[in-house]
Amino acid sequence: MGTPAVEVEEISRVFEPRKKPEVVALDDVSLTIPPGEIHGLLGPNGAGKTTLVKILSTVLLPTSGRARVLGMDVVDETKAVRPQIGIVFGGERGLYWRLTGRQNLEYWGALYKLSARETKERTQRLIERVGLAERADERVETYSRGMKQRLHLARGLVGDATVLFLDEPTTGMDPLAAREFRTLIAELRDEGRTILLATHDMVEAETVCDRVTLIDRGKVVATESPRTLGRVISRFQRIDAEGVDGTVLDEIRALAGVSSVSEVEGSVRIEVDEEGATRVVLGRLVDAGATSVRTSLPSLEEVYVQLIGDRGLEV
Amino acid sequence: MRAFLAGFGLEARMIRAAPEALIPLVTAPLFALVFLAIVRQSGRPDLQADALMAPVLMTLWWVALQQAGTMITGDRWQALLEPLIATPASLASVLLGRIAALMCLGLVSFFEVWAAGKLAFGVSIPFEHPVALGLTLLVTAFATAGVSVAFAAVFVLTRNAYTFTNSLSYPLYLLGGVFVPAAILPGWIQPVSSAIFMSWSADLLRASLKPPPIDDLWQRLGMVVLLGATSFLIGRAILFHVMRRLRANGELAAA
Repeated sequence: MGTPAVEVEEISRVFEPRKKPEVVALDDVSLTIPPGEIHGLLGPNGAGKTTLVKILSTVLLPTSGRARVLGMDVVDETKAVRPQIGIVFGGERGLYWRLTGRQNLEYWGALYKLSARETKERTQRLIERVGLAERADERVETYSRGMKQRLHLARGLVGDATVLFLDEPTTGMDPLAAREFRTLIAELRDEGRTILLATHDMVEAETVCDRVTLIDRGKVVATESPRTLGRVISRFQRIDAEGVDGTVLDEIRALAGVSSVSEVEGSVRIEVDEEGATRVVLGRLVDAGATSVRTSLPSLEEVYVQLIGDRGLEV
Repeated sequence: MRAFLAGFGLEARMIRAAPEALIPLVTAPLFALVFLAIVRQSGRPDLQADALMAPVLMTLWWVALQQAGTMITGDRWQALLEPLIATPASLASVLLGRIAALMCLGLVSFFEVWAAGKLAFGVSIPFEHPVALGLTLLVTAFATAGVSVAFAAVFVLTRNAYTFTNSLSYPLYLLGGVFVPAAILPGWIQPVSSAIFMSWSADLLRASLKPPPIDDLWQRLGMVVLLGATSFLIGRAILFHVMRRLRANGELAAA
């Protein structure tokens, strides 16, 4: 295997706010991302996603551990790392609001040492690519939140980075724009770029990511492909069936390993939480003459809730 | 050089987009008229040229403190500092480019006070040593830019940079000999004044508007450049350490 695009070795980051107890944002995190992979970083608020993205993009120093981008240390070799990376932080700030979208991009392009001509050409290409061509010469302060987010994305791409760090990049985008964004991410992978995508959006992670890392309270909970993560908790499989009468459902409800049985619009959903229970339930449904039986693995969102816990609004 | 030009271009566009950046150009001719009125009322027409030069220096200083000095702080509050630091560009070069654009703006005040004096009192700037005058204005703008980099770096560490910028203006006008030559200040202040490039600039500007030949012109110009360059180098070193500290503390972006 060649040099990983991103390599994180036992990174920890502790914040020591004045007159407040210290906060462990990252605790011994290790992670390896091969070149060309879209890697999702999933976790609740305060899990440490943004902290990791900031360390990798050289704007924050780790308390301990090492991180490399394309084999270069993000602390000791920042000058070599920075031309290779692009960052997109979420939120509405981070742009010059009184300048136009085009002027913003031209400025950031110049910081990547592009010639004036290259800057103009690349700016125009990116403006078209993110769908801002009609508003490119208007001030950013007149943009919607979604448009600012697209401009953020264009800014992240203006340096033609090999490795992209995207922190909540679809915040504020409408569903259509978010779908286009996912298409764009796939295109960027096809161009050979590596992408680390920190997101809350399970659908986004499931749709575009080759692998995802679940992170919680600064620790890595699991790193797998979205499908494999589903199998990790396969004992939580579910069965959807039709044409099953109430007596049979009562029997199934009483079986060991069946956690819930619910009826929705003529169909029934049975959830199991023990290895082997699925086989028993399926046998009983077939014997009872069910007209339709289907098993499915949990979605990434369900995996997330199972592994990290449903914490509501707690951070 | 590309980073310098990027910074220059950015600031030039910001000035065009934000009319409040032009406030010093509104106040400069007004100050010129006030000072002219005072020296004329006092029966000192020989000081009219000095009265015209003081607002030019004040404008450069004001721009250095208020706009350049708070540049990094402003970017930090708008979450622009993190993405800037993550680019390959040198922060000091970008900053110097932006400040250079502001200095060009500040120099416009020279033409304003000239016009204001002429229109209001029929007083013109006496171009006795035009080359020396031009060179002095240029090296003054250069040195002010150098000092501004140091201000910008130090002000990031303060909770409220605007308090410092407001309270620093007038002591610096005084120590820099902007209104009156530093030579007439109390003796114990003069060593401090000599370390401030503006006192050299102000003396040179006044000398370039009077008929007698200017003593040690090149040495005095060199002193302005030296003090400005030293300030820039110190500012760049402070900037490096401040940025390192902000990266270590996780404070590059203000909440």
